[in-house]
Amino acid sequence: MTKPRPDELAAGGADRDKRRRNLDRRTYWGLLLPGLLGLLVGYVLPLLWILRMAFNKGGPDGLVISAFSGDSLRKPLTDSYYLKVTVTTFRMGLLVAVLCVLASYPIALFLARSTSKWKGLLTALAIAPLLTSSVARSYGWIVILGSNGLVNSSLLGLGVISTPLKLTNNMTGVVIGLVEIFMPYAILVMISGFGQLNPQLEQAAASLGANAVKVFTRITLRLSMPGVLTAFLLVFVLSISTFVTPRLLGGGSVRVLATEIYDQANVLINWPLAAALSVIVFALFGIVISGYQRLIRKVEGIDR
Amino acid sequence: MTITQATSQVTAAKLSLSGLTKQYAAADEPAVNRLDMDVEEGHLVALLGPSGCGKTTTLQMVAGLLDPTAGSISVDGNDITHTPVHQRGMGMVFQSYALFPHMNVAQNVGFGLEMRKVAKPEQKARVAAALEMVQLGHLATRRVKALSGGQQQRIALARALVVEPTLLLLDEPLSNLDAKLRVSMRTEIRSIQQRLKATTLFVTHDQDEALDMSDRIAVMNKGLIEQFGSPAEVYERPRTSFVATFVGRANLFETIVGEDVGSAGGDERLYRVGVKGQDGFGAVGRPGLTGSTRTLLVRPHRLRVELAPDEPLPGAGRLAGVIRELGYTGNALSFGVEIGGTIVRAEMHASGAPIPRKGETAHLSWQPDDALILPEEVR
Amino acid sequence: MSSREVPVPFKRRTGLGRPAFRVLVALLYLFLLAPLLIVLVISFSSNQFLSFPPEGFSLQWYRDLPHETVFVTGLQTSLITASIVTLIVLVMGVPAALAISRYDFKGKQLVASLFLSPLIVPTIVLALGLLLILGRVGWTDTYQGIVIGHLSITVPYVVRTTLISLQTRDTSCEDAARILGASGWTALRRITLPIIAPGIVAGAVMAFIVSFDEAVISLFVAQSGLRTLPVEVLTYVENQADASVAALSVCLILFSVLVVVAVERLMGLRVAAGG
Repeated sequence: MTKPRPDELAAGGADRDKRRRNLDRRTYWGLLLPGLLGLLVGYVLPLLWILRMAFNKGGPDGLVISAFSGDSLRKPLTDSYYLKVTVTTFRMGLLVAVLCVLASYPIALFLARSTSKWKGLLTALAIAPLLTSSVARSYGWIVILGSNGLVNSSLLGLGVISTPLKLTNNMTGVVIGLVEIFMPYAILVMISGFGQLNPQLEQAAASLGANAVKVFTRITLRLSMPGVLTAFLLVFVLSISTFVTPRLLGGGSVRVLATEIYDQANVLINWPLAAALSVIVFALFGIVISGYQRLIRKVEGIDR
Repeated sequence: MTITQATSQVTAAKLSLSGLTKQYAAADEPAVNRLDMDVEEGHLVALLGPSGCGKTTTLQMVAGLLDPTAGSISVDGNDITHTPVHQRGMGMVFQSYALFPHMNVAQNVGFGLEMRKVAKPEQKARVAAALEMVQLGHLATRRVKALSGGQQQRIALARALVVEPTLLLLDEPLSNLDAKLRVSMRTEIRSIQQRLKATTLFVTHDQDEALDMSDRIAVMNKGLIEQFGSPAEVYERPRTSFVATFVGRANLFETIVGEDVGSAGGDERLYRVGVKGQDGFGAVGRPGLTGSTRTLLVRPHRLRVELAPDEPLPGAGRLAGVIRELGYTGNALSFGVEIGGTIVRAEMHASGAPIPRKGETAHLSWQPDDALILPEEVR
Repeated sequence: MSSREVPVPFKRRTGLGRPAFRVLVALLYLFLLAPLLIVLVISFSSNQFLSFPPEGFSLQWYRDLPHETVFVTGLQTSLITASIVTLIVLVMGVPAALAISRYDFKGKQLVASLFLSPLIVPTIVLALGLLLILGRVGWTDTYQGIVIGHLSITVPYVVRTTLISLQTRDTSCEDAARILGASGWTALRRITLPIIAPGIVAGAVMAFIVSFDEAVISLFVAQSGLRTLPVEVLTYVENQADASVAALSVCLILFSVLVVVAVERLMGLRVAAGG
């Protein structure tokens, strides 16, 4: 059983192989061309431009002074106002992510385990809100949380409170709204992450003597961890970059990085500063992603 | 150990593989290792072997779906080794049938004719004829998703045959069918193939299929053809212990071949052999084996099992052992008898006599004609 | 294995207090759907201003919708841009998915990640970058500007659903076609594409909806001259407090649901949720 010697390979086979490989290469680069072109113009270039712009200086009346200075970048990192905005954004992101994951977990668990014939419909119902614009949903929350809205009218009517609760134009309203708006994303991610969950595992644990609480914490929770972490990451990233809800439900008094970037870019026309703030957002995003990857490796490592 | 020609005359072979090799990575063993094989026109040749032996890889190279690393493939004397797939004019049936889900039955069967730009009326006629041949003419307008496994398989066969292919290639077409269907489809495929005189390559890991359907069997192992011959040859006269154990059940004993006692018919000689330290056994083998160490093959159903030994048969030795395993299937008994540390398997018809029990002694013997000395050398 | 087969002692022990759990899930569903339900209710209210509870039933907001010029022009703009975006993104994404699934080339993983990454990049950052680039060439407040702005956030959907379709299909169908005489290109056109069509359509529908509903990028890139519907609604809500937005939202939701259900019926959109 000897191997074919190189000189025994079909004569001309090497040339034919090379020609075939070249044709293949041209084919797949040709297939990728429109996509890469579109992404270059609509994705890569804008991101690179921000990086470049962050090093410029902002002049009066919206003038952009082409430079290579760290002025604009230094501002958000040293100015107490911007630091406060960054911290606010970060805290909001954490709070929303935690609450959203907590609220979505039972639904995701229910759907992943469900064997009823309504499962498809219920899943669609949980994901359907994604078909609507966040503007419409934030608007809905204004109606629910406003001083003339559902919550206040009901509580006033029932005599539980005497003055309306301030649930809009503040961070409270924004957080509530964001938690709901991001729930479909979290549910979707967790359902695909719950693939390992299997009622038989829980039954096996019970037969071995674990009570309901133990079954949940040692088996269910552990196995669903990867899905939970991914959902947390996704919601956090969406929160720190969200614009519409803080703007509508915050009414101008909630200042997060996204609203600041908007103001700097469109109202105050200080593009370098806006770019610098974007870099901060991106940096936060990068930190969290790397933390997530390390955590995920640990969590999946335990279960291997 | 790769070259074995078809047994009788070879005029112009329909399909000829020469030195066919497929090697994936330079460091690994080749998946197909310098295969030589000739297939006569009108023959159905089975490529039989365990998974990983290279049979499917060989078929795919013949079809053109894989490029060989070395070697050549010729059909009707023309080298088609580097002809693109769609120009080879073959017909293939896949294990999963690969029917086009978005087309109905008639469109599926007619696809090959469409590619050959056959005129519509002729297409229609030929498709109808092909469907009639597999007795599914009434399903022409059905969606393929609605068909059963057996029906899909027949459609796939019709689709491959309607183009009058140079070769018919079948890749484990029966594996996805249930047992009963498998047997009936086997007969049907064979009769269609014979009627059309279609030269066919048939990949399978099921020895019963291979023995039942083919004109020739190529028993493959680790990229090589260990034996190429008719079903009877492969079963009765295996050349290696792999072939002996893969095709049919086998007991293999190491033996030192004794004296040549006479002719056993044809080229073969009768020898005295010793087995498990005992003399007095006879076996058949090719000339010139005296004094060599070989493997002796005795098939379980050729062993004579005695529970209370009679007179010894002339020229036959006898092995004694304890029954360790016993199987009863109504019409047959199977034994596992421990002799000298190994289990020897025997089978016999259940005659209605009382069934023995584990732990009892049994005596095994055979006629010299029922034992074969394998030609392969034992190192 | 349904829970009915579980012996009773286990059921009592392992169910997380079954009925309590179900109530919790129901409440959470209510929370999840609250804004949409409220919007539905409010759209029929006869109140002049945005307040709860509605004093009476009225179709005034629906009747007045076509007369609200900003909504009509916004709808027009959004329909046009979303349609163009979907077409372009199909041309971008489907060939890319084909390349990724069929060929092994250096940097394949990188390219695949590139196409899918816009989904997790902060949209606000993209929005600013697009404003900067488009501002440079004077394409803000133009159709092409909006279209370019939406490409990156929509192409991942098309690539993902097409890839899933490609990966789950039975490749032997293409092999069978080639053996029957179809060249590579013919096999692609007659066999592969029809088989993966449901996945492609699912991606196209998602791309359309995402582009249609997109607010932030559109806001940055086009807010004075040409406005998409979400941008018009955003401006409207910030300045006025009435329920016409509710009526509009209900119509849009209905429309989206109808489109999705129609496509699901025709093609089977299970692929859409996968990933």
